[in-house]
Amino acid sequence: MCVGLSAKVVSLKDGMAIVDASGAKRTVSAELLTNLNPGDYVMVHAGTAIAKITDEDKDETDDLMQQL
Amino acid sequence: MSDVITMAHGAGGKQTAELINKVFKRHLTNEFFTADDASVLPRPNGPIAMTTDGFIVSPEFFPGGNIGKLSICGTVNDLSCMGARPLYMTCAFQIEEGYPLDKLEKIVAAMERTANEVGVHLVAGDTKVAGKGQVDHVFITTTGVGEILPGVRTSGALAQPGDKIIVTGDVGRHGCTILLARDEYGIDADVTTDCAPLWKPVEAALTAVPGIHVIRDATRGGVGTVLYEIARESNVGITLDYGNVPVDPAVRGVCGMLGLEPLYLACEGRLVMIAPAREADKLLETLQSQPYTEGAAIIGEVTGEMPGRVVMTTDIGAKTLLPEPGNELLPRIC
Amino acid sequence: MAVGHRTTEDSIEKARRILRDYDGPDVRIMEVCGTHTHEIFRQGVRRVLNPKIHMISGPGCPVCVTPVGFIDEAILLALEKGCTITTFGDLVRVPGTEKSLQIARGEGAKVKVVYTPLDAEVYAKEHPEEQVVFLSVGFETTTPSNCLAVRNAQKDGLTNFSLLTANKTMPGAYEAMKDSTDLFLYPGHVHAITGTKVCEDLVSEGVSGVCAGFTGRELLTALAVGVTKFKEGKPFFVNCYPRVVTREGSPAAQKMAEEMMQPCDAMWRGIGVIPNSGMELREEYAAFDARKKFALPPIEGRANPACRCGEVLQGKIQPHDCPCFGKVCTPEHPVGACMVSSEGACSAWYLYGELAGKPLD
Repeated sequence: MCVGLSAKVVSLKDGMAIVDASGAKRTVSAELLTNLNPGDYVMVHAGTAIAKITDEDKDETDDLMQQL
Repeated sequence: MSDVITMAHGAGGKQTAELINKVFKRHLTNEFFTADDASVLPRPNGPIAMTTDGFIVSPEFFPGGNIGKLSICGTVNDLSCMGARPLYMTCAFQIEEGYPLDKLEKIVAAMERTANEVGVHLVAGDTKVAGKGQVDHVFITTTGVGEILPGVRTSGALAQPGDKIIVTGDVGRHGCTILLARDEYGIDADVTTDCAPLWKPVEAALTAVPGIHVIRDATRGGVGTVLYEIARESNVGITLDYGNVPVDPAVRGVCGMLGLEPLYLACEGRLVMIAPAREADKLLETLQSQPYTEGAAIIGEVTGEMPGRVVMTTDIGAKTLLPEPGNELLPRIC
Repeated sequence: MAVGHRTTEDSIEKARRILRDYDGPDVRIMEVCGTHTHEIFRQGVRRVLNPKIHMISGPGCPVCVTPVGFIDEAILLALEKGCTITTFGDLVRVPGTEKSLQIARGEGAKVKVVYTPLDAEVYAKEHPEEQVVFLSVGFETTTPSNCLAVRNAQKDGLTNFSLLTANKTMPGAYEAMKDSTDLFLYPGHVHAITGTKVCEDLVSEGVSGVCAGFTGRELLTALAVGVTKFKEGKPFFVNCYPRVVTREGSPAAQKMAEEMMQPCDAMWRGIGVIPNSGMELREEYAAFDARKKFALPPIEGRANPACRCGEVLQGKIQPHDCPCFGKVCTPEHPVGACMVSSEGACSAWYLYGELAGKPLD
């Protein structure tokens, strides 16, 4: 249902953010997130940044797998 | 001469002659271009390959090229896939009434440049003007004839189990470029078309490895479609190592946003080559030393299992079918 | 991709080993997210599972559970009311009672595919002469974007923009499906919005689950964690996607949805009406509600009676058990919604063919 893409915040203006996903740029709504700064990573869905995130899925899955 | 195409330009009289002289003859003149009803050409030495293709693209100008360049590359590449040195081409234009002449001239100039690069002669042409709205700006059809290199035989039906599969560069750039140029989804990315005439690298490849089994250009439907065509025509299975398929990061980013698969996006300057495993490295090195194919990579191999199917090895090391392409490409979002 | 593949082989290998050598009781795992379904098939996840692990593709593709009548409403708006329909690409080929929007487009309907409802609002602003309707489908993840579009339209003073809502919420579906599975693979992006309290509450009802991301690595990890915990025998919840999902979720998104929309009963294609599992615009926003604005009559819609999408969504049958599957129902000519969306279970089975259901390489 919810195709999401992690992207880096390039700039912010009036509740909108330009985000960059490995070179693909687009303006999305950043209104749902506070304390957002250029350089942060966000999860983007349907034109809206829905969560502030860390960039890499590897560390997280490595941690989880280590606990098993 | 008015600065847009009018119906009079297609009526066969004075304005038609003016258009031919000022735009087409100016750019396309060569020893075979004639005022007669047909061109008379020297007979090639060996068997010839002949092909035709129609070009419709919106927008007709896009980063890295335009419909003129595309119309030469498409036919040159089709001939090249058969191991045929492109010799002669013809072109037919359908132009929408009101189309700016300066744009038309840019398109024709791009055709000239591309044809000269390959060394193919445009020997005949035709122009029709269609009423406003009857065509979308400009449609071009090109036909080409080429001379097959001695001792070469390529066909989509010749892939053999054990053969290696090479793609000559990163996939999906043309399709992605057009998608972005239409500006329907508000996405910006520094992506230019891969549109290129590939005779030179093909000639070098066939000179180094005359026994290449299959050469096919990935256009509409992308590399994924070509792999399915070959699997079916050769009645073989294909194993694709997904992690080795070269994709420009920005193309991957655009595809990620829209839920699209780069393997199904169109290319206009990418070939799939299939050759015996023992020659694969030599072929790869040759391609990597040629213009337009520097980014060549081995992406998989031909097998005897599951004929007609393309199986891919995924990021997690599992095997799954590459879904067979079909349907209109629509973004998948929600 | 190639680089990532090599450097992470260890944890992927370990997850594969756990899933291959699983020796606990048979376990049914339901993914309730179409994007999970899509990635599970695309990555070949089912192929690395022990035969005791049974995956079920649940009702998590909004296209799949959108009722036939919704498409009929959209077509009526386009063809009879002359509205411009803006939509996610996913919905264009979904069959209504008589036709899809794609077919309607051939009959003169204006249908524009957009990346986000925010673009639909901008289009409306730029085309004041058109009545623009956005087909508002999706779960909690998508609802905020729909609300933002309405709020922008209100700010811009637009009178030519409205939503045709079919928004849905997940908790009702979890309730409805909990007896069809032993373990939920919770949709990461829904819970990025809602937080994980609902998952924790379900544990007290004996319902287990893991919240998962969407890469091959994230899916394998979540499944490995899930089956390992399942073997221990006690109900549990583990958030395996903490880089995106937090316990509280997105308060701003929750607040916006709460202020602009209200729960309503919703029809889920193939399942039926689930009470309070839908979202519709509140009365204050009636001017942006296409049903009210254009006084749409109630439209039931008729699904093809031979289609067994409902049972597929509940994991009661496999796609190929349906008499339509692969014969009259293909991705090119879909009969049921599970075939039309590439996130649907039937489409995935069809496209990934004979390898789809076979475990172990």
